[in-house]
Amino acid sequence: MDLLAPLPQLLISGITFGAIYALVGLGFVTIARASQIINFAQGEFVMLGGMMTFFFLREVHLPYSLAALFAILVVILIGFFLHLLVIYPLRKASLPILLMATLGASLFLSSTSALLFGTLPKALPPFAGKDLLELGKVSVSSQSLYVLGATFMVLLFLYLLSYRTLLGKAMEASSTDPLGADLSGISKNLMIFLAFGVSAGIGSIAGIFITPIFYVSYHSGTLIGLKGFIAAVLGGWGKHSGAILGGLVLGVVESLSIAFIPSGYKDAIAFIVLLLILYFRPKGILGSPFMDSRRW
Amino acid sequence: MVEQFQKEFRKRDLFYSIALWFLSLIIPDPQLHYRKEYGFRKRDLFYLMTILWLPLIWSDPHFHHLMVLAGIHGILALGLTLFLGYAGQISLGHAAFFGIGSYTTAILTTRYGVPSFFALWASALTASLVAFLIGRPILKLKGYFLALATLGFGEIFLVMVRESSSLTGGVIGIFDIPFFSFAGFIFDTFLKQYYLIWGVLVGLVLFSKNLIRSKMGRAFLAVASSEDGASAVGIDVARIKLGVFIIGAAFAGSAGSLFASVMSTANPETFSLNLSVLIVMMVILGGMGNLYGPIAGAIFLTFLIDGLSRYQEYSLPVYGLILILLLIFFPDGIGTRLRVRLIYLISYLGRKRRREKVEL
Amino acid sequence: MLLSVEEIVKNYDGVRALNRISLQVRKGTVKGLMGPNGAGKSTLFHLISGMEKPDSGRICFKEKEISGLPTHEISQRGVGRTFQTLQVFGNMTVVENVLTGMHMRIKGGLLSSGLWFPWIRTSEEVAMKEAKEILEQLGLFGRWKWFASQLSYGEQKQLEIARALAAKPDLLLLDEPVAGLTYPEAKQLAVNLSRLRETGLTLFLIEHHMGMVMEIADEVAVLNNGELLAEGPPDVVKKDPGVIEAYMLKK
Repeated sequence: MDLLAPLPQLLISGITFGAIYALVGLGFVTIARASQIINFAQGEFVMLGGMMTFFFLREVHLPYSLAALFAILVVILIGFFLHLLVIYPLRKASLPILLMATLGASLFLSSTSALLFGTLPKALPPFAGKDLLELGKVSVSSQSLYVLGATFMVLLFLYLLSYRTLLGKAMEASSTDPLGADLSGISKNLMIFLAFGVSAGIGSIAGIFITPIFYVSYHSGTLIGLKGFIAAVLGGWGKHSGAILGGLVLGVVESLSIAFIPSGYKDAIAFIVLLLILYFRPKGILGSPFMDSRRW
Repeated sequence: MVEQFQKEFRKRDLFYSIALWFLSLIIPDPQLHYRKEYGFRKRDLFYLMTILWLPLIWSDPHFHHLMVLAGIHGILALGLTLFLGYAGQISLGHAAFFGIGSYTTAILTTRYGVPSFFALWASALTASLVAFLIGRPILKLKGYFLALATLGFGEIFLVMVRESSSLTGGVIGIFDIPFFSFAGFIFDTFLKQYYLIWGVLVGLVLFSKNLIRSKMGRAFLAVASSEDGASAVGIDVARIKLGVFIIGAAFAGSAGSLFASVMSTANPETFSLNLSVLIVMMVILGGMGNLYGPIAGAIFLTFLIDGLSRYQEYSLPVYGLILILLLIFFPDGIGTRLRVRLIYLISYLGRKRRREKVEL
Repeated sequence: MLLSVEEIVKNYDGVRALNRISLQVRKGTVKGLMGPNGAGKSTLFHLISGMEKPDSGRICFKEKEISGLPTHEISQRGVGRTFQTLQVFGNMTVVENVLTGMHMRIKGGLLSSGLWFPWIRTSEEVAMKEAKEILEQLGLFGRWKWFASQLSYGEQKQLEIARALAAKPDLLLLDEPVAGLTYPEAKQLAVNLSRLRETGLTLFLIEHHMGMVMEIADEVAVLNNGELLAEGPPDVVKKDPGVIEAYMLKK
């Protein structure tokens, strides 16, 4: 059937985007594992990663890899500042306040980006040229492979951090049992501070890797952040594997849906998926360590 | 010599005491006082008189325009304060109900010639219906997940409006909505619209105030405080949450209808996530658990945005910055600490004067 | 038989919290529920009040089955409770807490309250009077305007009881009412409870405080590890070897 013909190609792009959503979701999960805070400015980290790389590449004329590296460092710094200036002063505040503060920060970051870099969308050149690999009937751009590779590396890094290093375990401890961690000498605020840095870094990496495929502009952060959060919830809120699985599922579902419904509705798909999962299985596909089984 | 000082001090004390008393009349102070004076007191009359006479005293049309907008935001904030400030549930999709109201009125008045008075009620009803339909499943969620679900709903609504151009005019929207008219009287100037909007707002405030001082208001607070405790005294938590949600949606729908009748257009840009965030900010700034505060918050933020707009591309970053600062310094609402701070400030001036006098 | 628990089984993630528990509470009596921590006492209360559903077995109140009903419906039938974790409404004043307890007995729906019909106003005024009386009975009247969060811990516990009483329940479940109370407060509470029992209220209480239970309870049931060890008058149960062992071991 002719309707099914574009499906394999859409599958590939779905997996690519899915990996990006997974990365963004991992950013959310990292902060949430340390502090039970949802950082609505996460998407802006992604956007800033791409923007900063563009800036360093085109305006400062650094070589590509150096531009990317500087961009990641700058975004990590921004993440630290976000914690120090917004999250830390509000550490005792109630949930709606924290939520609004991160939304305010998201607004500030995206509009400042428009101010500094202009409102036109920016694109970056692909890492390794425009070659397309042919696998059967589908063509896979080398960029997609880079994206998948990056996702895998980040996942590996997070896994090692959380389960093999003392620092990672300290971060987990401060979220699960704040009092106990405090008594053991772990400073919860320091853990959250570091978590912000890590997730800003992850976000910026996602941004740098996706911009060659899909342009970046001052407002693309909001939507990508939301979709990343949805991915993390979909796969199992609070689990790294959940964010990966959720991201891939979301990416694929979103891509495949283009074949069946008008493309304008594409963005709504993520939210429909969200409502479905929150209604039928709020814990997510793989289950969630954060929500107890009673009366959810 | 000492007596002279004492007389000076007494005069100053008297002056500051009178200033404090006068200020205490007009500045609301929710969390420090016993809330039980739910009857109508002098302060309410003062507010009512201010609302009545203000646009006549200050007849700048731009000011009138802003107050019209502030009134609409006030209705939105009032609906959300019942849901967020009293019942403690977060909604980041409230702008969608505003949009539903706007478009219902727009479609009914431009295509079917329905008079705007009936369109107003129809808009409120439509918004309530939608709230009823999506409320049941969504309100089972708590905290961030409720926020996310309402946000999701808001975004879906936005996309649907943009895509179904035949019904809603797509991205462009609907134009030439007739001004609000009632019994032949057309509200076509800002001044007339001001009285319309604020008249509706006062009516809704009365309704809300009645709700708050009745058992329902206590039920809302109970649900916010402890759902287990609430159900242990026989409160059907799910039904209460749904009820407040619908009321909030109805208010927002009416606000949307009035907005369409005043601005003459309806388009998707007006009810984005930014509006939802704005309304939540109004409630937070006004103070949660407070009825008049969010309306004051609405006036404040409306004027703030207008004031910032002249800085064009700097307006949004500054706005975001101000939001964050307001949240850090006034998490309980601007009014709550304001009185204490004013008292401190005024008494500080008195103390400073006294110190200077002694040092002579 | 006011409350009848029949063969209740409840599992939590693989742990059997309650294993075929059956017990009964007669109208007008005071029954104590005791046992070491983790025995399943609060779980039983959650099941009776509807916050959890039993995996098997059933619970009957006033000869009608209530297992599986939502909490607010069970409350409306006449079951009141207090909580081990103290769920007082901190964002309301003391008198408002009690008034909320009377929620079921005050007239008004969402729409009619908003329109403030005259019968709602009278209902509120009557309720206010009664709420103040209840507060006076429990000795909390002096602070009726205070916010509930401003009271001391012991007073908040009493407020929770006042709130539960305001609903005029037939059965009152008390979850560790004297925990955290000072000695004079606990004594005062015991006096209040005896007085309540005289008005015809049936009490079912979880308590660790041996002395208090022995004093006011007509019957005691002892749980351990989800099993019912003994049930009967306090003097008899006190001497039961299984009970003694359970308490000794848990020390």
